Amino acid sequence: MTTTEQLRGERWTEDRGGDGPGGPGGGPVARGVRSAAAALPTAGSGWRPLSGAALLERLRVTGRPRPAADPGLAADLRAHLEHGLDGPAGPVPGRGPVDDAGPRRGTGAPLVVTARRLTRALACPVHATGDPLDECGFSLPLACGALVDVLFRQLVTTGAIGDALTDGMAGLAVDDHRAPLVAWIGQLAPTELSELRSEVERQADGLRRRWPALDPAWLPRTHERIRVPLAGGAVELVAHVDLALGRPGGDEASVALVDVTSGSRRPSQRDDRHLHALIETLRSTTPPFAVATYYTRTGELDVDPVTPELLVDAARRCRSGIRALTGPAAVAVPVVDHRPWCAGCAEALRPVIGPSVGTGRVPVHAPVPPPVAVAPLVAAGGQRGAADRPEDTSDGVVPVAEGRAA
Amino acid sequence: MSTRAADAGPPPLDDAARARVRAALVDGVAAAAAGMAPGALVEVTLPVLRRARSCPGTLGRPEPAFVWKPVFARRSLGLAAVRACAAGRFRGPSEAVRPLAEEAVDEWRRTGRRTFHWEPWYAGLDAGARAVVLADAATWATPLWSAADWTGLGARAVVGGPDDLWTSPGPGSVRVRARYEARVHPAPARPVGSGADRAQPGPALVSVSGGTPGDGWDDDLAYLALVAGVHGPGRPVPSRVVGLWPEAGLRRTVGIDESVLTAAAGRVASVVGLLAAATVDHVTVPARAVG
Repeated sequence: MTTTEQLRGERWTEDRGGDGPGGPGGGPVARGVRSAAAALPTAGSGWRPLSGAALLERLRVTGRPRPAADPGLAADLRAHLEHGLDGPAGPVPGRGPVDDAGPRRGTGAPLVVTARRLTRALACPVHATGDPLDECGFSLPLACGALVDVLFRQLVTTGAIGDALTDGMAGLAVDDHRAPLVAWIGQLAPTELSELRSEVERQADGLRRRWPALDPAWLPRTHERIRVPLAGGAVELVAHVDLALGRPGGDEASVALVDVTSGSRRPSQRDDRHLHALIETLRSTTPPFAVATYYTRTGELDVDPVTPELLVDAARRCRSGIRALTGPAAVAVPVVDHRPWCAGCAEALRPVIGPSVGTGRVPVHAPVPPPVAVAPLVAAGGQRGAADRPEDTSDGVVPVAEGRAA
Repeated sequence: MSTRAADAGPPPLDDAARARVRAALVDGVAAAAAGMAPGALVEVTLPVLRRARSCPGTLGRPEPAFVWKPVFARRSLGLAAVRACAAGRFRGPSEAVRPLAEEAVDEWRRTGRRTFHWEPWYAGLDAGARAVVLADAATWATPLWSAADWTGLGARAVVGGPDDLWTSPGPGSVRVRARYEARVHPAPARPVGSGADRAQPGPALVSVSGGTPGDGWDDDLAYLALVAGVHGPGRPVPSRVVGLWPEAGLRRTVGIDESVLTAAAGRVASVVGLLAAATVDHVTVPARAVG
């Protein structure tokens, strides 16, 4: 669950009660692959958030065959990530502090790699320190995100949400780690508390109206932790998935992972869900068939079918991030390089959308990074599976910039 | 986990081997507890064993006062959910946890009997907090539920149950406690002449742990078999212990024989020694790892 940098929802994306299937243009849910951009709401387009069966259909039907279990691919991805990392006896700079459980015998605590940590490690110098959640403590958006998080769990588990702020606060209060946030909310001024209540109720209402009951046979579980040790435990990839559906580890993919965010769409969220797909693949050797991000503020749903290409790209990025975390920059002053493109840059260059810009969208041509050849992956890690699989783009190139961070 | 997992493995220890293991445990614990402060009580559990291995200096420190939290309720509720699903009452843990919790609270209100012990705490929570308890339990139970065909195993599988507890007959009050998530008995023997004349393996224990298997995971699993094997007569010593680490998607197995159990008894005695020392000197426990 991530939080929003803006508390107020965008009024032009309000669900007006339409529960029928409605992709962009109001037609039936497309079974083909829809890009994230295609799912962006635009002013006056008649776009309505998916709800009920249509929302589930969007999650379940990606338009691609579901991946099969592929231990070879999982092994290749792992080898790529572990290439160049020290084993348990060797030093891994940047390992986290010893946690409450104490150090591991003779090795120290593993370097824990999460989506957020990876994004920061791969950020350009301008955005490397720009994580407001780390800097300014609590805020109304953060509180809203935490409340909506527990409300989403409540809805999935019990099928109902009562008074949103009351239920949300009770859900937070039962968790010791949330005590400081609960205390902070408790001392808010009446106007701020009213603002928070209003937005939490608005988002909770959207959840109530749009999220159907999930079939218990799909094994829905919330806040699922996924951990994958690498290099003999020196590095640990960790994901906290807001909602997981399906039975892991079968011969054919049956798992879908959903991140829930109260914030607006960010490029880094795509990277996050792809990382989660990678970690799940490493864990069970069967990839999830889909990874998604649900935006409680607007009801938007981004769904990416999981393909070998997606996993390879995620592995490249993850490896770059691990190198950034374990390299000299992890223990010294960050080296200023000239990476012009990171998730933060992409966010800054996003088109401004909303009713204040006339037609709704201002076309901005963001700089597109030059393509990176597929070959380096094979050369660096010696794996199969990259060069011999067709990519989405032609000419054997992948338009990602991960090579820059390596 | 295959339903055949419990059907493989070595035969259970015979009575003589079991007696030797028990003697090793009794003698080791008695020697280690000899210096215990009078009136002190020492209890060994799996978390204590792990702490002795990783942070021996923290052994014997006062524990914070117990307060119910969702993390303490999720296991018992989750096990009940798996049992109920195996019995065909529900299609999955997410469907089971709420009615099971409500039934337990109703039962407690009606009779005063606590099925899970946390009923009064749960009953006093607001709806939002209850939802967190239920969600945690469903998430905890789901990997266990999907780890085996519990319905197919039928009566051979016992999910949950009371902790195994062994109390040292020697000087000092020493208790050794262990818990596992399921016990799976082997399939009934087939008719003579079909290969069933070989000795039946003992039951398999199934243990669920968080995180990833760290150093000593095999010691942990052997400890469960040790306590199951000595805590009472009449129950066969497990032939194997299957460890599940759902977060990491890992499953590992330890086959149980006399040498494994004897080594586990030695580790228990070492930990008792550390704890006994802490009862005398609350300041420090020797900062050495248990081998």
